[in-house]
Amino acid sequence: MIAFAGAIGDVLTSSTMYGSTVRFAALLVFAATGEWVAEKAGTMNISVEAMILTGSFTAAIGSYLGHSVWIGLVFGMLGGLLVSLIQANMSHRLGSNQFVVGLTLNVLAVGLTAYLNAKINPTVTKAGAIKIPLLSRIPLVGGALFGQTWLLYLLFPLIPFAWWLVYRTRWGLEVRSVGESPQAVDVSGIDVNKRRRQSVYFCGLCSGVAGAYLTIGQVGSFGTDGVSGRGIIALAAVILGGWTLKGTVGAAVVFGFFDALRFALPALGHTVNPQLLATLPYAMALTTMLLFAHRGRQPSALTRPFVRGLT
Amino acid sequence: MLGENGAGKSTLMKILIGLIQPDEGSINVHGNAVRIADPITASDLGIAMVHQHYSLVEQLTVWENVVLGEPSRLNRADACARVVALSERYGLGVDPLAGVSRLTAGQRQRVEIIKCLRREPRIIVFDEPTSVLTPAESEQLFSVLRRVVIDEGRAVALVSHKLDEILHATDEITIMRRGRVVDRLTTGTATAAGLAQSMVGRPVSLRSEAAAFGSIETITQSVDAAPVSDRPDGADASPAGPHAAAEMPVVLDVRNITVIGVDGHRLLDDLSITVHAGEIVGLAGVEGNGQRALGDLLASLVAPVSGSVVVGGKAINAGRPGALSAAGVGIIPEDRHDSGCVLDLSVAENLVLADLDKVSRRGVLNRRALEARAIELMDAFDIQARSPHAPMRSLSGGNQQRVVLARELSAHPRVLVAAQPTRGLDVGAIEYMSERLRRAARDGVGILLISTELEEVLTLSDRVCVIHAGRIVGEMRRDDIDLERLGMLLGGMAA
Amino acid sequence: MSAAAMDAGCEPAAIGPARRRSNDRLVRSVWMIATYATCIAVALGLCAVVVSATGGSAAKVFSALLDGSVRSPGAWGLTISTATPLLGVAMGTILASKAGMTNIGQEGQLLLGAAATAYFATRLDLPGPLLITVSLLAAAVIGGLWAGLAALMKFSRKVPEVMSTLLLVYIAFQITTFGLTKKWLLLATVNKTRTNNGEPLPASGHMPVIRLFGNTVTWGVVVALAIAAIVGFVLTRTTVGFRLRMLGLNERTARRAGVSAAAFGGATLIISGMTAGLAGGLWLTGGIAGDRFTSAISSNIGWQGLLVALLARGRALLAILMAFVFAALRTGSGFLAATGVDRRIADLVQAMLVLALLIPPAVEALQNHRRGRAGAA
Repeated sequence: MIAFAGAIGDVLTSSTMYGSTVRFAALLVFAATGEWVAEKAGTMNISVEAMILTGSFTAAIGSYLGHSVWIGLVFGMLGGLLVSLIQANMSHRLGSNQFVVGLTLNVLAVGLTAYLNAKINPTVTKAGAIKIPLLSRIPLVGGALFGQTWLLYLLFPLIPFAWWLVYRTRWGLEVRSVGESPQAVDVSGIDVNKRRRQSVYFCGLCSGVAGAYLTIGQVGSFGTDGVSGRGIIALAAVILGGWTLKGTVGAAVVFGFFDALRFALPALGHTVNPQLLATLPYAMALTTMLLFAHRGRQPSALTRPFVRGLT
Repeated sequence: MLGENGAGKSTLMKILIGLIQPDEGSINVHGNAVRIADPITASDLGIAMVHQHYSLVEQLTVWENVVLGEPSRLNRADACARVVALSERYGLGVDPLAGVSRLTAGQRQRVEIIKCLRREPRIIVFDEPTSVLTPAESEQLFSVLRRVVIDEGRAVALVSHKLDEILHATDEITIMRRGRVVDRLTTGTATAAGLAQSMVGRPVSLRSEAAAFGSIETITQSVDAAPVSDRPDGADASPAGPHAAAEMPVVLDVRNITVIGVDGHRLLDDLSITVHAGEIVGLAGVEGNGQRALGDLLASLVAPVSGSVVVGGKAINAGRPGALSAAGVGIIPEDRHDSGCVLDLSVAENLVLADLDKVSRRGVLNRRALEARAIELMDAFDIQARSPHAPMRSLSGGNQQRVVLARELSAHPRVLVAAQPTRGLDVGAIEYMSERLRRAARDGVGILLISTELEEVLTLSDRVCVIHAGRIVGEMRRDDIDLERLGMLLGGMAA
Repeated sequence: MSAAAMDAGCEPAAIGPARRRSNDRLVRSVWMIATYATCIAVALGLCAVVVSATGGSAAKVFSALLDGSVRSPGAWGLTISTATPLLGVAMGTILASKAGMTNIGQEGQLLLGAAATAYFATRLDLPGPLLITVSLLAAAVIGGLWAGLAALMKFSRKVPEVMSTLLLVYIAFQITTFGLTKKWLLLATVNKTRTNNGEPLPASGHMPVIRLFGNTVTWGVVVALAIAAIVGFVLTRTTVGFRLRMLGLNERTARRAGVSAAAFGGATLIISGMTAGLAGGLWLTGGIAGDRFTSAISSNIGWQGLLVALLARGRALLAILMAFVFAALRTGSGFLAATGVDRRIADLVQAMLVLALLIPPAVEALQNHRRGRAGAA
């Protein structure tokens, strides 16, 4: 117990720990922000997993072909978008069950990227770190937030942008409405399924960025098991965040902390069972949902397909 | 626009605002032939509609709802200012920043009206606007209508099945029956009896079917002129007439029930009501005052936080799934698609939902017995379906309602709760339903009729209770109905 | 393609009503078959494109898949034995999804089931049939417990079972990995060459086989078919099945009729976990994936069983067929090495087929809905 408390103390005073928390959380925040918008419109998108994975692979391809981080980023976004196109059109044009489609896409993405990766074996140009002057000197958290790869800084505009998009634009108003009361929105002359598809595309783009960040910002290469359930944890962050952006980002950061802890504890010289460490993010996602999930109010029409006139 | 339920009024209006596309025919607006592809086009043409079932998103605020579906950029200050301006112009008293989920049905309708007027329409369609209003609110609505017509020169189409309000508020009347226009006349030349006849297509007695025509005056006249024993359905033949009912045992006793909704709102607030065997108790009230929660409670769909439900002298754990059904409380729910039937199961299966013992042995279903029972009930309740195996979804609303009625009555309940039992039905079906309820009461079933149609409550009930904000605020016997007091109770004023 | 199908559905409106109906049905079924054929062709075509683009030969790949799954000697038996756990997983999933429960954590339940089987089969000293029975029962119990956790979280704390079952997969994987580091759990006591392997199953722990025309099929097939038969019977012929379907279709109506979502929904979730666990036991004792437990043993059997269930859309017979198709892709991929194409292409073919098979029923449902609305209006 004392050892554990000591470990926590070490972790909280270690500035590298803050840095790696931010690095791990960034992936989750990118994806969770996108998924938050999709869930606001009524889709529980388990294919986030596939979107991140595909994005991280196409980013590797882009970076390999174009020898540029920028091209990698664009390719990553396109990869995420591609998956979201299938998800959105199958579930909000054809009306297939969104879990079925999502799950299939997850299996498809694992198979396809593993296959193509073995064939192509791309080498990745990694994005460099940029220290933001002054801000990066803030003790403890400065380096963590402002001394990172520039891809991570995309988060700082993305979060307020997503908030503005959902709460201050007409598109966002319509997105929130189709997630709550699609029948009423339909009567007002809004194409419900179109808004839902668009919100899934947004999620695909964000998850694509998450994937690109993973490959070219964080790891520097594509790994077939690099995502391993983080998409699902991003989904858990939205639920735990009670479908608010604040909560979602907060929950993603908490999960990012536990993700980082897996590597930090051994690095700080604490011996913890490796399997126990590996379960940490998943177990924490479950535990926190167990404690807090019932508090949030989910969008009323979440996971319900909309067909005009069908009750 | 007058016509009974199912005559095609709503379909026609939905065509007008672009929600349904016609297969043939043309629409002229101001002399020009137009094609209305969607609600946006309709709005551009100056056509707007106040919907029967609300088109508001509950979780949004008033101003957000008002601007929903417009093409322009979102501007909160501007939108709020315009809501306030319109609200003042018509005396509607709507707060743009209020959350819609907290509004009463009448307030929500006013939001709808503002949403509709904000686009400065030249033609406004009101689809059954008074069904959720108190008499006083209806009066206010009609004064707004008169203003937009007389002062502002807009055209209003009032869609209704209630003779009184059509005669009261319109200049011209178009009558629809079975998807066709059967008559057009100016209101000055119309009589209630004539309208009723062309609406239904056969001579009808306004008095016996007053509920179907929304004619309160005829009901009260019949109350004044003829005491209960002269009621045309022969209520005097009942062994437990309204006066005798008091001596019959209490079959349903709801005591001090409180139910809290998901948002912490009190849906039922210390509500008590009793029903005797053989008695029809009408629960009148404006929509959204706890009727749905009471129906849910009596279907074991919600658990009360306090109070008790006693059926036939036995206290029941109301929140346990199926508890009240097992105790002998049948229910025709307000929304049959929500909790009255399973649309994707067959008619035969829907006829036995809670009552599987009769069609199974040791847990194994006997398909032949299931089918035989279905055919028997379809016959007895005159249910029109292709076969017992047809999916419930394929039936018309009236026939779906008969399936629910057949299932509930064939289980021989002690109490039958009928929530809005005639909503959306045509005159024939309303008659049938009313007759079945009376017959069940004569057979000794205690009936709790929950209805927002005052006319229906007044024609059927032996005793009327009024619900407001989740409590019973008043009660009167059928033979001393005071319409004025009733109106005040409905509006929540102590009287 | 979908637009063409819809046009055809509307076309015969001009013909007389009696003839129209039969004509309509004919046109519809022809179009349905055409849609299926087109979708499958497009899916396989896309796979061929991927294979060719990466320097392989599509024709050789499909030929190798067929060789490995049905054409070569003994392939039938192998494919049928592989279909066994897929069918087991699928039938439990069908039961749960009929009751409206979305269990998507079969991979983990199956893995733990296999682990439990390995634990008991290598430790108990019992005669053959009894040993297998006990160890398979253990597999079912642990699979049920694992899914039961998700049920408990759903009905006591409102954690969506979609999330919890999925997250529990990752935890299950780590638990078995941990087990494989400890000799008192799963790690082989004598282990010189390979690390992190379980103890080999004793001879009595292997599922006996049936030999038919040069093919070997394990008795597990009989177990899986029995599960399929029982689930099919329960769902269509019993009052319990009727209540489950009611619950899945309309929870509120079901509750009013006395069907508790927590009791019935929770039970089906647990049962689906049990069949997934049992499938893991069958997979291990069947011996196709080797004679001992490893943490890679589940190798997507759980996910694929789930996809089988989804494609079967609740029908036992269709589930048997789909399990066979999926198994054929697995066994077929074993022959791919000879063609120089990565065996992972089989996963791709599989996923593309799944997406392709999802489209026709969706189009049909959409068409029916439109037709129904046109009729009502």
